[in-house]
Amino acid sequence: MESFDVIVVGAGIVGLATAYHAQKSGARVLVLDKGATGYEASSRATGYLSLRGETPEECALAQVAEKLWDELDEELGYPTEWTQKGRLWAAIDDGELAELKATFQSFQATDIGFEFIDAKACRDLIPALTDKTLGGIYTPRAGHANPQRTTQAFAWAFLDRGGEIREHTPVLSVLEKGGAVHGVRTTRGDIHAGTVVLCAASHTTKLLEPLGIVFPLAPVRLEAFVTAPLPPLFEEAFIAHGLAVRQTRRGNIHVNGGPFEWIDVDVTGEPAKPTTPLVRNIAQRLVEVFPVLRKAQMLRSWAGIVDITPDTMTLIHSFDTPRGLVAASASGHGFGMAPAMGVAIADLALQGRTELPIGDLTLDRFASLPGDWRRAWNWQAGNINT
Amino acid sequence: MTSSSVRRIAVVGASDLGCSFALAARQAGHDVTLVDEHPQSLKQMSLDAPYFYGAAIPAAVLNENAIAQVVLESNPEIFECFEAEVDVRVGTIAWGAFRNAPNSAHIGTPKLGLVSQDSNKLLEHDVLVLATGARDFVPSFAGWDLPGVFGVKAGLALLDIYQCYEGKRTLVLGTSPEAVKFTRSALAAGVEIVGMVEPTQHFAAGRLAADEIAGLGVPVLYGRIITAAEGKTAVNGAQLVPTNGSGTVEGLDCDTICIAIGRLPNIELPAAMGCQLRFDASVGSWLPETDAGGMTSAAGVYWLSRFTGGEEQVQAILASIGGDTVAPAAPAESVARADYLQLWVDTLFQTGGSNVMLCQCEDVTRGAFLGLEPPRYLDGQLRHPQTPVTGRCGVPRIHQDQMKRMTRVGMGHCQGKRCRDEAALLLSTRFGIGLESIQPGSYRFPVRPLDLDLIAAGDETPEMRENWLYWPAAPENL
Repeated sequence: MESFDVIVVGAGIVGLATAYHAQKSGARVLVLDKGATGYEASSRATGYLSLRGETPEECALAQVAEKLWDELDEELGYPTEWTQKGRLWAAIDDGELAELKATFQSFQATDIGFEFIDAKACRDLIPALTDKTLGGIYTPRAGHANPQRTTQAFAWAFLDRGGEIREHTPVLSVLEKGGAVHGVRTTRGDIHAGTVVLCAASHTTKLLEPLGIVFPLAPVRLEAFVTAPLPPLFEEAFIAHGLAVRQTRRGNIHVNGGPFEWIDVDVTGEPAKPTTPLVRNIAQRLVEVFPVLRKAQMLRSWAGIVDITPDTMTLIHSFDTPRGLVAASASGHGFGMAPAMGVAIADLALQGRTELPIGDLTLDRFASLPGDWRRAWNWQAGNINT
Repeated sequence: MTSSSVRRIAVVGASDLGCSFALAARQAGHDVTLVDEHPQSLKQMSLDAPYFYGAAIPAAVLNENAIAQVVLESNPEIFECFEAEVDVRVGTIAWGAFRNAPNSAHIGTPKLGLVSQDSNKLLEHDVLVLATGARDFVPSFAGWDLPGVFGVKAGLALLDIYQCYEGKRTLVLGTSPEAVKFTRSALAAGVEIVGMVEPTQHFAAGRLAADEIAGLGVPVLYGRIITAAEGKTAVNGAQLVPTNGSGTVEGLDCDTICIAIGRLPNIELPAAMGCQLRFDASVGSWLPETDAGGMTSAAGVYWLSRFTGGEEQVQAILASIGGDTVAPAAPAESVARADYLQLWVDTLFQTGGSNVMLCQCEDVTRGAFLGLEPPRYLDGQLRHPQTPVTGRCGVPRIHQDQMKRMTRVGMGHCQGKRCRDEAALLLSTRFGIGLESIQPGSYRFPVRPLDLDLIAAGDETPEMRENWLYWPAAPENL
């Protein structure tokens, strides 16, 4: 039987970041994916590093990620299009302004340095903003990058160090005996490894069920679109009016947000990712925020599947039983967090412990989660926007 | 027909087949809407989809009202549809089609997204018939972005539909049936055809067509290939070389170059809807999988195309809509076009090399594409080239989506309509992987780029507005 030190299941950004760091530390690592590299949640990412003021438990790890992002191009050797020009979260009507002020109160509990700025300051930052802008929360920290290019950068950097990625190789089960894992069963046979890391979204949940482990994730379908490239308008990570909007290095306006649909996924094939007429409504909101985009052209829309934990926060867990098993999900925060998650998960896989601040992010917080939590949350397949 | 068997049928594409089906369905008592994107706005024409007009669209098309009239009059079948009370909507883009499907359970009645200069609607329907026609296949050569270079469908549209063709001396690339048709129309309009370029020693459209062309006095330049369109601000000539490697460059005087190598089916709508596709080697393209009644893998969605058959498809689809079992028709006569497209792309690459612009939108050369080099806006920061071939165990694969994300070939304004097919053919030859093993890049809605103020809709329901989040949130009482 083929043998590796570590098998990582899932060639998304979190799995690849983990594989990169483990390989760099000297382990022989194999990455397996049921489909293509960076083709699921990693292809739907907005591309933001948020410092997670909304979820203080993730804040410390996000700040580790922020430092790593600064050096990521150099570390990996491939361009990620990292742009650190801060984040603006603006309000364009009274309801949004009231909500934003409440949000700001909670942000002040963090040490990130958020500032509430007035309408003029918002429009000084982004002159293309509507004159209806009322104010916003600004931080000079936070940033954005190209999700596809970053995921591929991790993949290439991992290959450069001698790692191996096998695409279109679904993992059917984790092999376990006597309280320890010893590999995985794939559609192309068994592969041995003393350590198995699962970064495979809902696939992880299903692989852990036979081991009696509840790894709570709910998949959700979300939509996005880009415009044709435009001259530079702004560089900040921007949120307003229920949308996340960034301008890519190439000049496209990338926008997402709005109603989403809870779904179920099958573990062997690529899930369907249909889009809906929702793009018409997103376009309306985008033009309301940036009237200057009226004659910009919608170029392509797409949908992606993202896996959400019950509290929407990152989940990283190293298991005592079975030994040699680590599982993680970034709950839609993976793009920004991946550089730090990769280090933390590789540490757990190789040494069983990490110095990185993940104490609040383990599975322990869900010890009393009701078995029917998806029903209780209204997050079962078929529900929209609940 | 009982009222319960009357179906609301949306037909996309007012080609002869599309009109013929719309009429037959109307005569059978159905409620029929026929949609066609022509006449296109100047902005849409300049995006080269479905026809490759290139950079020189005649000023006459700016007069949109006059053009609309001319375009309609060139299509008598559309008038028959009007008279039969088909709801005809011209100048209207069917940009997306939506139905309940896995992971999208809330569409309800199937909807077709329709946008024109003054309307933005979701058309509810029971049955969708896609008669979306063909687009130009336009492989690259030096200078192919110059004003005066265009595709054969665009050339025919300017001659026969818009009636404002401006070329006086045209060079035709290829000896396909489309090339012959164009040559006939151009000669009838008083245009001089300076020659037809054919890399082999054989006339692709066959002996009869070759004789006809000879009779018309048009020179066929056998064993030659174009290496460049010449000119600073517009085409004023072309460079040809022999394909046998003897290397003597010939200059040719012309003001227009018509790329008439072939055409490809417009599969954007069925592909983006998630209909199952199959690679058809005889067409050189992916096509929707259909049953004998013309139905795709999506129930109630039909494919009607000259690439898959003729008039008999009209009755087969009508029978299938009526619930009748349809006996399989004889397979359509193979046109074996893929080899001809591949021959052109390979010969153009051998003679023109790596340094020719492949993707006009993003300004990417063939070499940069095949070497997976990062796009220009990143200033060549790549450590070293990587291979696009994956799948070390089992068969090697190439995923065109991953190629386009890294190189941006196919990511630009034309949505890949100018370059995606040549890109696949180049990959196939360079890496020795069959076209059927190259996963095509995804097609996405909208199938034409659309101004945001045309597609934007303020029809949010109160529930949508109330619960609109930019990201899912955990319950507050957790």
